[in-house]
Amino acid sequence: MFYEDVKEGYEFPVLEKEPITRVQLVRFAGASGDFHPLHLVEEVAEKAGMKILAHGMLIMGMLSQGVTSWVSRKNLKKLQVRFSKMTFPGESIQIVGKVLEKKADNIVVAEVFAKNSEGEVKVSGIFEATLPSRN
Amino acid sequence: MANVKDLIGLEFQPYSLAVEKGKIKELALAIGDDNPIYYDLEAAKKEGYDNIPAPPTFLQVIDLWGGLGSVEKVEKLGFKLTRVLHGQQAYEFFGDIVAGDVLSVTSKLVEAEIKPGSTGAMDIVVTENQYRNQQDELVAISRNTLIHRH
Repeated sequence: MFYEDVKEGYEFPVLEKEPITRVQLVRFAGASGDFHPLHLVEEVAEKAGMKILAHGMLIMGMLSQGVTSWVSRKNLKKLQVRFSKMTFPGESIQIVGKVLEKKADNIVVAEVFAKNSEGEVKVSGIFEATLPSRN
Repeated sequence: MANVKDLIGLEFQPYSLAVEKGKIKELALAIGDDNPIYYDLEAAKKEGYDNIPAPPTFLQVIDLWGGLGSVEKVEKLGFKLTRVLHGQQAYEFFGDIVAGDVLSVTSKLVEAEIKPGSTGAMDIVVTENQYRNQQDELVAISRNTLIHRH
Protein backbone atom coordinates (compact mmCIF):
# COMPACT_ATOMS: atom_id res chain seq x y z
CA MET A 1 0.00 0.00 0.00
CA PHE A 2 1.47 3.32 -1.09
CA TYR A 3 0.81 6.65 0.63
CA GLU A 4 -0.45 8.20 -2.61
CA ASP A 5 -3.06 5.47 -3.11
CA VAL A 6 -4.63 5.56 0.36
CA LYS A 7 -7.85 7.48 0.85
CA GLU A 8 -9.37 8.72 4.09
CA GLY A 9 -12.17 6.35 5.06
CA TYR A 10 -10.36 3.29 3.63
CA GLU A 11 -11.25 0.22 5.67
CA PHE A 12 -8.49 -2.29 6.25
CA PRO A 13 -9.17 -6.02 5.79
CA VAL A 14 -10.55 -7.59 8.98
CA LEU A 15 -8.23 -9.85 10.99
CA GLU A 16 -10.17 -12.77 12.52
CA LYS A 17 -8.60 -14.46 15.55
CA GLU A 18 -9.27 -17.95 16.87
CA PRO A 19 -11.28 -18.22 20.13
CA ILE A 20 -9.25 -17.35 23.21
CA THR A 21 -8.38 -20.37 25.33
CA ARG A 22 -7.45 -20.84 29.01
CA VAL A 23 -4.11 -22.29 27.94
CA GLN A 24 -3.49 -19.17 25.86
CA LEU A 25 -3.84 -17.08 29.04
CA VAL A 26 -1.19 -19.23 30.70
CA ARG A 27 1.10 -18.82 27.68
CA PHE A 28 0.49 -15.07 27.71
CA ALA A 29 1.17 -14.79 31.44
CA GLY A 30 4.53 -16.51 31.05
CA ALA A 31 5.46 -14.59 27.92
CA SER A 32 4.50 -11.16 29.23
CA GLY A 33 5.38 -11.64 32.88
CA ASP A 34 1.87 -10.63 33.99
CA PHE A 35 0.92 -13.20 36.60
CA HIS A 36 -2.09 -11.28 37.97
CA PRO A 37 -4.22 -14.10 39.41
CA LEU A 38 -7.45 -12.71 37.92
CA HIS A 39 -6.28 -14.24 34.64
CA LEU A 40 -5.22 -17.57 36.06
CA VAL A 41 -6.94 -18.59 39.31
CA GLU A 42 -10.69 -19.29 39.50
CA GLU A 43 -11.01 -18.61 43.23
CA VAL A 44 -9.43 -15.17 42.91
CA ALA A 45 -11.67 -14.20 39.99
CA GLU A 46 -14.80 -15.45 41.81
CA LYS A 47 -13.86 -13.67 45.05
CA ALA A 48 -13.65 -10.46 42.99
CA GLY A 49 -17.11 -11.17 41.60
CA MET A 50 -15.84 -12.09 38.14
CA LYS A 51 -14.83 -15.03 35.99
CA ILE A 52 -11.30 -15.55 34.67
CA LEU A 53 -10.65 -12.88 32.06
CA ALA A 54 -8.05 -12.33 29.37
CA HIS A 55 -5.19 -9.88 29.90
CA GLY A 56 -6.02 -6.55 28.25
CA MET A 57 -2.51 -6.59 26.79
CA LEU A 58 -3.25 -9.91 25.05
CA ILE A 59 -6.07 -8.16 23.21
CA MET A 60 -3.77 -5.23 22.50
CA GLY A 61 -1.31 -7.79 21.11
CA MET A 62 -4.00 -9.08 18.76
CA LEU A 63 -4.90 -5.52 17.85
CA SER A 64 -1.27 -4.75 17.01
CA GLN A 65 -1.09 -7.94 14.94
CA GLY A 66 -3.94 -6.48 12.89
CA VAL A 67 -2.17 -3.13 12.57
CA THR A 68 1.07 -4.74 11.40
CA SER A 69 -0.81 -6.83 8.85
CA TRP A 70 -1.92 -3.49 7.34
CA VAL A 71 1.26 -1.43 7.71
CA SER A 72 4.82 -2.65 8.15
CA ARG A 73 6.01 -3.09 11.76
CA LYS A 74 9.00 -0.96 10.81
CA ASN A 75 6.78 1.96 9.85
CA LEU A 76 4.56 1.97 12.94
CA LYS A 77 5.21 5.20 14.83
CA LYS A 78 2.45 5.43 17.43
CA LEU A 79 -0.13 3.09 18.87
CA GLN A 80 -2.44 4.07 21.70
CA VAL A 81 -5.43 2.13 22.99
CA ARG A 82 -8.17 2.35 25.58
CA PHE A 83 -9.44 -0.81 27.25
CA SER A 84 -13.25 -0.71 27.32
CA LYS A 85 -14.64 -4.14 28.05
CA MET A 86 -13.34 -7.36 29.52
CA THR A 87 -12.63 -10.28 27.22
CA PHE A 88 -13.21 -13.88 28.31
CA PRO A 89 -11.90 -17.26 27.15
CA GLY A 90 -14.14 -18.59 24.39
CA GLU A 91 -14.57 -15.20 22.73
CA SER A 92 -13.26 -14.68 19.19
CA ILE A 93 -11.71 -11.30 18.49
CA GLN A 94 -11.82 -9.42 15.19
CA ILE A 95 -9.52 -6.51 14.46
CA VAL A 96 -10.93 -3.76 12.25
CA GLY A 97 -9.52 -0.41 11.24
CA LYS A 98 -10.05 2.62 9.07
CA VAL A 99 -7.85 5.44 7.78
CA LEU A 100 -8.83 8.73 9.45
CA GLU A 101 -6.35 11.23 8.08
CA LYS A 102 -3.33 11.66 5.82
CA LYS A 103 -0.63 13.91 7.26
CA ALA A 104 2.62 15.34 5.93
CA ASP A 105 5.74 13.15 5.65
CA ASN A 106 3.72 10.17 4.34
CA ILE A 107 2.03 9.62 7.69
CA VAL A 108 -1.42 8.08 7.97
CA VAL A 109 -3.56 8.21 11.09
CA ALA A 110 -6.07 5.40 11.54
CA GLU A 111 -8.52 4.06 14.08
CA VAL A 112 -8.45 0.40 15.13
CA PHE A 113 -10.85 -1.73 17.17
CA ALA A 114 -10.79 -5.18 18.72
CA LYS A 115 -14.36 -6.54 18.82
CA ASN A 116 -15.93 -9.88 19.60
CA SER A 117 -18.17 -11.70 17.13
CA GLU A 118 -21.22 -9.84 18.52
CA GLY A 119 -19.59 -6.52 17.68
CA GLU A 120 -18.83 -5.61 21.31
CA VAL A 121 -15.77 -3.34 21.33
CA LYS A 122 -13.13 -4.59 23.79
CA VAL A 123 -10.23 -2.27 22.91
CA SER A 124 -10.23 0.84 20.74
CA GLY A 125 -7.29 2.84 19.53
CA ILE A 126 -5.47 5.07 17.12
CA PHE A 127 -2.25 4.36 15.27
CA GLU A 128 0.12 6.40 13.12
CA ALA A 129 2.40 4.90 10.51
CA THR A 130 4.46 6.03 7.59
CA LEU A 131 3.62 4.48 4.25
CA PRO A 132 6.06 3.96 1.40
CA SER A 133 5.79 6.45 -1.44
CA ARG A 134 5.56 5.74 -5.15
CA ASN A 135 8.10 8.51 -5.72
CA MET B 1 -4.79 6.59 51.67
CA ALA B 2 -3.21 9.97 50.94
CA ASN B 3 -4.33 11.97 47.93
CA VAL B 4 -3.24 10.24 44.74
CA LYS B 5 -1.87 13.55 43.42
CA ASP B 6 0.99 13.15 45.91
CA LEU B 7 2.21 10.32 43.66
CA ILE B 8 3.03 12.70 40.78
CA GLY B 9 6.77 12.65 40.16
CA LEU B 10 7.27 9.23 41.80
CA GLU B 11 10.16 7.54 40.04
CA PHE B 12 10.36 3.78 39.93
CA GLN B 13 13.76 2.09 40.09
CA PRO B 14 15.39 2.09 36.59
CA TYR B 15 15.97 -1.32 35.03
CA SER B 16 17.39 -2.89 31.93
CA LEU B 17 16.80 -6.09 30.05
CA ALA B 18 18.18 -7.73 26.95
CA VAL B 19 15.77 -8.20 24.05
CA GLU B 20 15.88 -11.92 23.36
CA LYS B 21 14.56 -13.77 20.31
CA GLY B 22 13.24 -16.55 22.54
CA LYS B 23 10.98 -14.13 24.43
CA ILE B 24 9.92 -12.50 21.13
CA LYS B 25 8.86 -15.89 19.76
CA GLU B 26 7.14 -16.78 23.02
CA LEU B 27 5.07 -13.57 22.96
CA ALA B 28 4.23 -13.89 19.26
CA LEU B 29 3.07 -17.48 19.85
CA ALA B 30 0.94 -16.48 22.86
CA ILE B 31 -0.78 -13.75 20.83
CA GLY B 32 -1.07 -16.09 17.83
CA ASP B 33 0.81 -13.66 15.58
CA ASP B 34 2.33 -15.71 12.78
CA ASN B 35 4.28 -12.87 11.11
CA PRO B 36 7.52 -14.64 10.04
CA ILE B 37 9.71 -11.69 11.05
CA TYR B 38 9.24 -12.70 14.69
CA TYR B 39 10.46 -16.26 14.09
CA ASP B 40 12.87 -16.30 11.15
CA LEU B 41 16.07 -14.24 10.87
CA GLU B 42 16.04 -14.31 7.06
CA ALA B 43 12.48 -13.00 6.99
CA ALA B 44 13.48 -10.23 9.41
CA LYS B 45 16.54 -9.26 7.33
CA LYS B 46 14.41 -9.19 4.18
CA GLU B 47 12.28 -6.51 5.87
CA GLY B 48 15.40 -4.47 6.63
CA TYR B 49 16.00 -5.47 10.25
CA ASP B 50 19.44 -6.35 11.64
CA ASN B 51 17.86 -9.11 13.72
CA ILE B 52 14.45 -10.44 14.84
CA PRO B 53 12.31 -7.37 15.69
CA ALA B 54 10.17 -6.95 18.77
CA PRO B 55 6.37 -6.95 18.23
CA PRO B 56 4.61 -3.67 19.15
CA THR B 57 3.53 -4.79 22.65
CA PHE B 58 6.88 -6.43 23.47
CA LEU B 59 7.96 -3.57 25.74
CA GLN B 60 5.58 -5.00 28.34
CA VAL B 61 7.95 -7.98 28.53
CA ILE B 62 10.85 -5.62 29.28
CA ASP B 63 8.77 -3.88 31.95
CA LEU B 64 7.46 -6.94 33.74
CA TRP B 65 10.53 -9.18 33.44
CA GLY B 66 13.02 -6.33 33.92
CA GLY B 67 11.27 -4.00 36.33
CA LEU B 68 8.43 -4.17 38.80
CA GLY B 69 5.90 -6.90 38.23
CA SER B 70 2.31 -5.73 37.87
CA VAL B 71 1.47 -6.93 41.37
CA GLU B 72 4.47 -5.15 42.94
CA LYS B 73 3.81 -1.90 41.06
CA VAL B 74 0.21 -1.81 42.27
CA GLU B 75 1.43 -2.39 45.84
CA LYS B 76 4.00 0.41 45.53
CA LEU B 77 1.19 2.79 44.53
CA GLY B 78 -0.79 1.77 47.59
CA PHE B 79 -3.63 0.40 45.48
CA LYS B 80 -5.64 -2.74 46.11
CA LEU B 81 -4.88 -5.29 43.38
CA THR B 82 -8.48 -6.36 42.84
CA ARG B 83 -9.60 -2.72 42.38
CA VAL B 84 -7.11 -1.84 39.65
CA LEU B 85 -7.84 -1.87 35.94
CA HIS B 86 -5.59 -1.17 32.98
CA GLY B 87 -7.26 1.85 31.42
CA GLN B 88 -5.05 2.81 28.50
CA GLN B 89 -1.71 1.95 26.95
CA ALA B 90 0.29 3.95 24.44
CA TYR B 91 3.56 3.38 22.63
CA GLU B 92 5.61 5.73 20.49
CA PHE B 93 8.48 4.19 18.48
CA PHE B 94 11.55 6.14 17.33
CA GLY B 95 13.77 3.28 16.12
CA ASP B 96 13.92 -0.46 15.57
CA ILE B 97 14.04 -2.75 18.60
CA VAL B 98 15.61 -6.11 17.74
CA ALA B 99 16.93 -9.24 19.43
CA GLY B 100 20.38 -8.53 20.82
CA ASP B 101 19.50 -5.00 21.95
CA VAL B 102 19.68 -4.14 25.63
CA LEU B 103 17.01 -1.67 26.73
CA SER B 104 17.46 0.61 29.75
CA VAL B 105 14.25 2.01 31.14
CA THR B 106 13.37 4.98 33.32
CA SER B 107 9.84 5.07 34.68
CA LYS B 108 7.98 7.98 36.26
CA LEU B 109 4.43 8.65 37.38
CA VAL B 110 3.56 11.77 35.41
CA GLU B 111 -0.17 12.33 35.91
CA ALA B 112 -2.62 11.55 38.69
CA GLU B 113 -6.16 12.66 39.29
CA ILE B 114 -9.32 11.62 41.07
CA LYS B 115 -12.40 11.30 38.91
CA PRO B 116 -15.99 10.63 39.91
CA GLY B 117 -17.44 7.43 38.49
CA SER B 118 -20.88 5.82 38.23
CA THR B 119 -19.97 3.37 40.99
CA GLY B 120 -17.77 5.71 43.05
CA ALA B 121 -14.59 7.77 42.74
CA MET B 122 -11.52 6.50 40.89
CA ASP B 123 -7.81 7.35 40.89
CA ILE B 124 -6.36 7.64 37.39
CA VAL B 125 -2.56 7.48 37.21
CA VAL B 126 -0.29 7.67 34.16
CA THR B 127 3.24 6.26 34.19
CA GLU B 128 5.66 7.21 31.44
CA ASN B 129 8.59 4.94 30.54
CA GLN B 130 11.53 5.87 28.34
CA TYR B 131 13.45 3.06 26.62
CA ARG B 132 17.04 3.56 25.51
CA ASN B 133 19.15 0.98 23.71
CA GLN B 134 22.81 0.06 24.19
CA GLN B 135 23.82 3.01 21.99
CA ASP B 136 21.88 5.31 24.31
CA GLU B 137 19.35 6.01 21.54
CA LEU B 138 15.81 6.68 22.71
CA VAL B 139 13.88 3.97 20.85
CA ALA B 140 10.48 4.16 22.49
CA ILE B 141 8.27 5.90 25.03
CA SER B 142 5.25 4.28 26.67
CA ARG B 143 2.37 5.70 28.69
CA ASN B 144 0.43 3.35 30.94
CA THR B 145 -2.86 4.49 32.51
CA LEU B 146 -4.14 2.62 35.54
CA ILE B 147 -7.59 3.09 37.07
CA HIS B 148 -8.01 2.39 40.77
CA ARG B 149 -11.60 2.24 42.00
CA HIS B 150 -12.01 3.53 45.54
